[in-house]
This record gives sequence, C-alpha cells and structure tokens, in this order.
Amino acid sequence: MDAKITNSILYLDNVSVSFDGFRALNALSFVVEPGELRAIIGPNGAGKTTMMDIITGKTRPDQGEVYFDGAVDLTRKDEAEIAQLGIGRKFQKPTVFESHTVWDNLELALNRKRGVFSTLFYRLTAEDKARIEEILATVRLTARKDDYAANLSHGQKQWLEIGMLLAQEPKLLLVDEPVAGMTDAETSETALLLKDIAKTRSVVVVEHDMGFIRDLGVKVTCLAEGSVLAEGSIDFVSNDPKVIENYLGR
Amino acid sequence: MTRARSELRLMALLRPWAALRLALAALVMMASFGLSPAAAQEALRPLINALGTGGFPERAEAVKTLAATGDPKVPEILTYLSDGELYAPKAGGAVYRVGAGNAVTDPLTGTPSEGVSAGSLQKIRLNNTLRGAITTAMSQLTLLSPDRNKRFSAAQDILKSADPAQLSLVDGALAQEKDGAIKSLLESARAVMVLKSDHSIEDKKAAIDTVAARGNREALTILQTALAGAPADLAPLIQGKIDGIARQLALWDVAQNIWYGLSLGSVLLLAAIGLAITFGVMGVINMAHGEMVMLGAYTTYVVQQAVATYAPGFATFGLAIAVPTAFLVTALIGIAIERGIIRFLYGRPLETLLATWGLSLILQQAIRTIFGPTNRQVDNPSWMSGTVDVGGLAVTWNRLWIIVFSLAVFFALLTLLKRSRLGLQMRAVTQNRRMASSMGIRTPYVDALTFGLGSGIAGMAGVALSQIDNVSPNLGQNYIIDSFMVVVFGGVGNLWGTLVGALSLGIANKFLEPYAGAVLGKILILVLIILFIQRRPRGLFALKGRAIEQ
Amino acid sequence: MITDFLLSRHEKKTLIVAALILAAAILVPLANLLTPVGSILHVPDHLVPLMGKYLCYALLALALDLVWGYCGILSLGHGAFFALGGYAMGMYLMRQIGARGVYANPLLPDFMVFLNWKELPWYWTGFDQFWFAALMVLLVPGLLAFVFGWFAFRSRVTGVYLSIITQAMTYALLLAFFRNEMGFGGNNGLTDFKDILGANIQAPETRAALFASTALMLALALIFASAVVRSKYGKVLIGVRDAESRTRFLGYRVENMKLFIFTVSAMMAGIAGALYVPQVGIINPGEFAPANSIEVVIWTAVGGRGTLIGPIIGAILVNFGKSIFTAAFPEFWLFALGALFIATTLFLPKGIVGTVMQGAKNRAERQKAVAAEKGRAVSPAPATVGTPEPQAAE
Repeated sequence: MDAKITNSILYLDNVSVSFDGFRALNALSFVVEPGELRAIIGPNGAGKTTMMDIITGKTRPDQGEVYFDGAVDLTRKDEAEIAQLGIGRKFQKPTVFESHTVWDNLELALNRKRGVFSTLFYRLTAEDKARIEEILATVRLTARKDDYAANLSHGQKQWLEIGMLLAQEPKLLLVDEPVAGMTDAETSETALLLKDIAKTRSVVVVEHDMGFIRDLGVKVTCLAEGSVLAEGSIDFVSNDPKVIENYLGR
Repeated sequence: MTRARSELRLMALLRPWAALRLALAALVMMASFGLSPAAAQEALRPLINALGTGGFPERAEAVKTLAATGDPKVPEILTYLSDGELYAPKAGGAVYRVGAGNAVTDPLTGTPSEGVSAGSLQKIRLNNTLRGAITTAMSQLTLLSPDRNKRFSAAQDILKSADPAQLSLVDGALAQEKDGAIKSLLESARAVMVLKSDHSIEDKKAAIDTVAARGNREALTILQTALAGAPADLAPLIQGKIDGIARQLALWDVAQNIWYGLSLGSVLLLAAIGLAITFGVMGVINMAHGEMVMLGAYTTYVVQQAVATYAPGFATFGLAIAVPTAFLVTALIGIAIERGIIRFLYGRPLETLLATWGLSLILQQAIRTIFGPTNRQVDNPSWMSGTVDVGGLAVTWNRLWIIVFSLAVFFALLTLLKRSRLGLQMRAVTQNRRMASSMGIRTPYVDALTFGLGSGIAGMAGVALSQIDNVSPNLGQNYIIDSFMVVVFGGVGNLWGTLVGALSLGIANKFLEPYAGAVLGKILILVLIILFIQRRPRGLFALKGRAIEQ
Repeated sequence: MITDFLLSRHEKKTLIVAALILAAAILVPLANLLTPVGSILHVPDHLVPLMGKYLCYALLALALDLVWGYCGILSLGHGAFFALGGYAMGMYLMRQIGARGVYANPLLPDFMVFLNWKELPWYWTGFDQFWFAALMVLLVPGLLAFVFGWFAFRSRVTGVYLSIITQAMTYALLLAFFRNEMGFGGNNGLTDFKDILGANIQAPETRAALFASTALMLALALIFASAVVRSKYGKVLIGVRDAESRTRFLGYRVENMKLFIFTVSAMMAGIAGALYVPQVGIINPGEFAPANSIEVVIWTAVGGRGTLIGPIIGAILVNFGKSIFTAAFPEFWLFALGALFIATTLFLPKGIVGTVMQGAKNRAERQKAVAAEKGRAVSPAPATVGTPEPQAAE
C-alpha cells in the first residue's frame, strides 16, 4: 500500500462531475475522520447521492481526488473492489434480495471470499452461523430469519439492509436516508443503532429528517448545488443564513 | 442493383453498333424515298457527271464538290461509286448506274435509262485516294447532318476510329457544331487524331489536356493506348494525366459507394425510426416491428391492385395513396397490439420481447395464409424507375426517392416530437411517467398513440421497401435485426442517433462489401457493433446521469 | 470436494425428476429392444430418436434456465451454442464416413470433394478422434460464450441490450455457416452419417444407446444444475438477477459471476447439440436461425423459469405438442406457437411448475398463519402472503 496521503478515512478534494452539461458536483471537498459519524443534509439535487456514487465507484468524477483510508485512490476502482476494501452502502430505496430469506441475505453479505469457486464450494461454518445469529439479534430480525425478504415491512427491510452492511464488516458505512418511511419509534431506534455502529467504524448518513439528525447529535454538512454550503454542529448549520435560504426555508 | 449495373454496361457496349445501324438505316431510307426536291436533284446532275471525267485527282475533286453540297442524295451516289456501280461512256458525258443484271438506271432518279446498253459504258475505277475521299465525304455528310442524333453517333464513330486523315473533316465539323456533347466528343476525337499524327509537341500536349479533361474510363483507355506509342518526351505528361484520371475515378468510386451506402442507410433509417420510437421513447421492445413493415408493403400491394381494378387512370398515384393508407392500417394494428398485449407488460421488457415475437409469428403466418408464401409483385410507378447519371454516378430514381422519403419522414417526426402537443406529452411520459400522469396527461392514451405512431412509421417504411425488395411474408425478418442494430448503435431515445446510426451503418456496409463480400461484410458489421456496444453500452448518443438508471 | 458438491442437499422434486429420467434411460431402450412388436409395452423404433430429441431440447432448455431463470440473462444465443456443439459432433461423424462417401475420398468429406478442395482444412484435424470431438463439443461453445460474455458483462451490457446482441451473434453465425467457404458444408450442412464409435448409426441398438446416453446426461445435468443453484454461488446469481447493484456493492464481481454461468450453460447447450445430431442425422445452418433460440426461451417460460424441472417439462411438452400439431394441422402451428408466446407471458409468467409451486406455497403459508393464530393470538400475521417475484428455487 502507498504511503498515506491523509489520515482521514475518506478524503474528497475538488471533485466535480457533470451529466450532459448539468453539474451534479461542483468542486466538492469533504473529509471524514476515522470513527466519525457524519450527517449530510441538503435539498434535492444537491449532489448527495452523486457523491455516494463517486465514493462507491458507480460514477467516475470528471476531476478531483477521492482517497479512502488515507492512501487508496477510489477513482481507479470499481464497485466490487471498493466494497471489498471496506466501504458499505445503503441505498435510498431499501435494496435487499427479495427472493432470498433473511438468513440468506445476511449469508451473502458476510465478509468472506467472494470468488466464483469460493462461493460454489462454500459451506456454512459454525463461526459464520454465530456471526449471522448475532447480526440477526442486532437488527431484531431473529424471529423472521426464514421469511423471504420480500415479505418484510418497509422498516424491517431498512434494518435488514443495515444488517447486511454490518455483515460486510466495513470500515466506512454510507447510509442513504435510513429512516425514510419509518415510524417515530423505529426512527429513534435506528438513531441508536447507527450511533452504536459508529463506535467501531466511520458512518456517513444522508437524511432529510431533521429530528433524526438532532437525535444523532453529530457534525453536520449541508450540501447545495454540488458543493459544501456549511459544516458544523446542527445548531450552527441550521442557523446559517445560506442554509436557511437554500434548504430549510424561512 | 448489380444486375441493373451490368445491364447498363452492356448497353454502353452495344451503343456504337446500334448507332451505326441507325445511321445506315437512315441513309437507306433517305435514298429510297428521294426526299430532295426534283429541282435540287437536277442541280446535282452535272456534279455527278463530273465523276466520270478526268483522272483520279479530278474525280476526287468532284467527290469533294459533291459532298460540299450537303444534299441528302449524295451519300447514296457515293455508295454507288464506292460499290463500283457507276459507269460512264468512254468518251465521258452522263454517268449511269449499272446494277444487278446489267440494268442501266439513272443514279439520281433510279429510272431505267432506255437505249443505253451496259456494254457501251465503262466502270468508273477507284484508287485509294478516291476511296479515302469517299469515306471522308461520307463522314462529313453525317457529321454535318441536321439531325442531332445522327451527328452524335457519327461523332462517337469518329472518336472510335480516330483516323488522323479525317482531322480536317473534324476541324470543319467543329467549326459548325453548336451542341456541347457532340462538340466535346469531336474535340476528343480531334485530340486523339493529333496524338496519332505527326503534329508538333505543343499540339499534342494540348490534345492530351483535351482528352484528360473528359476524365472518364474512355479517356483513361485512350491515354493508356497513347502512352504505348508516345515519344519519350510526352510519356511522363501522359502518365501524369493517367494517374490524375485514375485518382478522380477512385473518388467517383468512393462517391458511388457513399451513394449506395446512403441508399441502404435510408432504408435502415426508415425501418429503424419506428423502432426508435417504440424502443427508444417507450422502452418497449417490439419484435413484431418487422411485421409492421411487412404489413405496410402488403398494404401497398392491395392498394395498387385496388387502384388498377377500380381506377386504372390513377395508377401512377397508387403509391401516393398507399403511404397514408399503410400508415393508418399499421398504426391501428399497433394501437390494438398496445392495448391488447403490451400495456400488461410494461416494466417487463424481456416478457414484452417474447410476447411480441409470438405476435410476429402469428402475423407472418396470417399473411402467408391470406396471400400465399410467394412474392407479390408491386409495380414501380414511372417516376420511380430509371437512372440518371450525375458525373460518374449512376443514380436510380427509386433509391433517390426513398432517401428523400426517409429524410422527410425523419424530419416530420422530429418536428412532431418537438413542436406538437402529442410530442410534448410523449416526452413527458418518457421522462417521468408518474409526474406526467399527475399533471393530468392521460398516459395510457399517450402510450397507445406513441406505439401507433411507431407502427405507422414502420408501415410507411413498408411502402418504400415494396419498391426495392420482394414483398413476401418474410420481408420484415430481413430488417428487424439490422434495425435493432441501428437503434442500439445510435443510442436509445435519440432520433439523431438513429439517423447517424442508420447512415453510418449503411455506408460502412457498402464500403466493406467490395473487400469482404456481401455476407462477410454483414458479419463484420455485426461483430463491429457487438464490439462497439462493449465500449459504449448505450450507443453513440447516449443519455448520461442518474436519470437513466432503472 | 466435487462429489461432496454434487451430493449436497437437493430438493425432493429434483431428485424425483432425475430418477424418472434415469428410469426412462433404462426402460425405453429395454421396451424398444426386448419386447416384441405389437406388445403394449413395445416402443416403436421411430419413437426412440424422437424421444431422444425431446430430451436434448430439455437439456438445452435447462442450460438456458441457468442463465435466464437464475441470473436474469435472457440469452438469444443458446441455439447457436447448441448448433456449435452439434457441428463439432457432426464433424466427427463426417470423418467416420471415410471412403464410404459418394466420391469415396478417404480423407475429404463429400462436400469438400464437390467444391474441389484438395486437402482437409486445418480446423478439421483431430475430429476423426471421438475424444477430441467430445472436447470440442464443450470447448467451442464454451470459448465463444467466454469471449462474448467477457466483453459483454465487463461493459455491463444488460437486459434487452444483451438479448439483442446475443441475437446478432446468432445471426452472424447463421450467415457465416451458410457460406461454402467456411468448410462446414454450407447450405446442406453435415449429413449422411454412417457410424458412431464403430456402431451403425441407424441400428436400433445404437439409437437406444444414444437415447440412454441423452437421458443419463440430462439427469446428470439436472443434479449438477441443482448443486450449482443451491450453493452460495447460486444464491449470488439470484441476487444478481434481482438486485445487481446490491450484489456489486456487497463486493461480488458480478461480471465474473455471470461469465461463469454463461460459459457453463453454453457448454451444456453444446452437449445437447452433440447428442441431438446423431439422433436426427443432420446438422445444418438452419439450427442457427434466431427463431430457434427464441423457441428455447418459450419452452423454458412455459415450464417455469427459475425452477430446474420447469424447463425440462416445458421443452418436452411444447415439442410433443409441436409434433402432434405439425402432423395434424401444419399450417396452424405458427399460430399456436405465437399464441403460446403471448399467453405464457400474459397469463402464466411463472410457467407451469412455478404456478403449481406458488399454489402449494400459498397453501402452506395460510396453514402456518392459521396455526400461528391458534397458538398465539398476539403474534402479527406476515405483512404479505406469497412469494417474491420472480420465483425462487425453494
């Protein structure tokens, strides 16, 4: 591995990308430290999802630097490599394998060898079994482990997806709108879960739910028109006139 | 196409012969009917009689004088002379014609000359000088003929033979000639003669320029022949001209290939535009699209039959009636298909593919049951048949019309999508179905119309294809894969991409054909597209960004 | 490890179907060879290769189901892999003719003599050996699928696009094999075979043996396919089918996953083609027709994609129907086939087996729900009843 360029877990510098003339990201710079839980807010079209696309290798930036763990240039890697490096991603719309059981979903997500032949001859070991049981308990799906994911409620799918990210054992988690469509109780439980996860790894959460962000009580970055508008505590950011103008409204 | 070309070539080969025969026939006709007025004829008599007096030089002079009158009767007389049928008394005087069976007649009127016996006459003998004079006089007479076609063929003959001895004759004809085409032929003939003769280098150089200026294959041949016998100081000049012409001809070949490619491309464009609508705009993959084209072609057939039966006078307009009819027929069938099958399969493209494939089998078999499996004859109206030469290009009218037609359809469709209300609604539904629906656009209605539009365009493509391809139940199958290649290559959801895709595939196909053959060329194109899709999975003119992710 | 892999837990119905096929492998030849003509148990000679043909189609449909039903790749090129396997076998059979051809050339097949060829093209060498031909039956379709898939999957050509370019590939091969210069008999293809492995290809015993081999191969393929789809790899494939990007973001190389199953499936199609040719006695470029490849899709769809026994049942049913139909009302077969395409996609998207399984599962879930309610009234009923779409293997 190359010498560390930064000490940050995630380092974006001057990243721009445009689609058919539309600038989705405009010289965006953004840094996440190891073990940090960071919230991102911003209006629709601010570039939140595009930023995640760039970090996870789905989209290539037109310019700018993206480094993971201080030394890995993410712009040269594809999704699978980046996932194997230890970046997990939860989509805006809960994306689980609907025709698999909850158990199989987690088994597939486990951080094991992922080649064709390793999977072809894979046998479930006691260790893996224990790990899956543990995650099931964490995301409160033990009772439904043999049900098809398609039959879960919306909130349960969100949790299953988070469980799958945990099974992946990532160093950095990108979570896109985890509480959309959840009840208030589920929302506050999710906040607790994320804070718990952030004890051992870095987490970036994109959310519109300001109550949820407040529950998290972490540093907030507000994006607008593809670059950072304001950064700081929730109170600092929500009092910033530019943020009020662009996002919160008067 | 190839057959038509070889026929053309054959015609060109036959042309000198046909012209010669025509000229001879004309001469004989003039002779037998004696078109010239009697008075003028009598004026000729002393000149004819002069043929019987004096030595060879005098007689040659007499031939020239005779020819100079330009009288239509003269060629006949000269023919008698060169055939050795003219006789004169030893002492001179009136000239008679002694034909078969020693029948003595008046050469001018053809009436029997009573009281003159063949035995009392002596044949007017010929030598080479005299023969030359006769030949020259004959050519001159046709070259100066008032009939343009006769002069044209005479000029072609002169260019073919290009005897330096006739140089002065050509000069004379050139001085009088007004017609551009004949003039250029004569100038070439003159140049070739100069090259063959012992004129000065300067004259020859000018002659080479004249020939080279024609710039066609004949000029190339003339120069190549000239090169063989050319003096050393002329050879490089001729060689340079030959290279120049060869380059020019190669350019024409390229142009011809582009033309063929455009022609094929326009056909592909017609077949693919409808697909670009259904596949590109709606995301519906319609494997029965080829059958819509086929139905359009059969509609043309039916319309033509109907017109021929009920209104034979309108036969030339059959095609004009077929275009809207085919559009309506296939558009209605398309709407029925959308309402009956496709609307249940939105969001399941692979199932749509299978269902429409099944539909294509049914449509093919239905047509086969109704019209039989054999080809149906669809006639070309007169304004669509024939060829016109543009420089070195042979342009067939039907291909030209199809290019015009396909571009017209393309731009009409583009305007429809950009300017009309329906076009706006279509684009809205394409971009965001739910939003469009909540804005009050009746999306099912728009879907049906869009599909109908795509199918209707396929039907119009069928009308055009009926003019250049066999109208059979399999007609559509031959185009469906190519059309998909065009849409995929050009980029889905972009009509300009379809245009560029169709034309470039057409041209690429025609450029590969001479090197690889038609089948291998096609295979190569398919392989190239498959490789191209690897590089740009969404085609040449792809949309980018998050919007396109499903 | 391999035997362990193959013997891993299979579903009961897979094992039942495999056992039925194996029983057919034994009983049909016996009923053909040992029972007297006219006996109720007798299978007439002409039916043996016909049934063998159905089983070849079943194997082809099973191969397609692995990529389409389990990985979501709708290949319209499986007819081409089938034909390539068939040609490899046909080349072996051609070389076995030897000097018994019309032109009695010991080395060159008749069509080459006819074309005035003086020597065997280099790519025909080795095909006089059965083992070599058998290897090529696997390698040629496998290699084509590998190269094609390598390009296609790496650049993420998916869905309808992939279907269209596989169809273009088939079409290009169709055009190529029609050319005499290719050296595969052009329009007429390869035919007039005499014997296989020394046995007369027309003899009832040979035909019975060919039927038995086909059935055995189909049963093996079924067990193999079952082992594949029930492994973790199989679960990844279903993941790719249902949520490709999720699979990618979990760190799986989706292109490798697809490439492996596509190649394996092409090899299976090649085997099916190789077994088909000696039983029907001819292979010609018509087998590359894009329509053939699409027909395979409909067999699979009718039987039920994403189930292993579905495509086998579908292939046999549709082709049996085709035999009946084309004999009774030849001009209506295309109407019937077209209608089958439409009806299946509209009314039976899960296919026969899928629908039956769905029904059984719904009943089971209802019973479970009723039982749960009786036991503990507090536990909430499942949010929705029914299985996800498309059908899973269990």
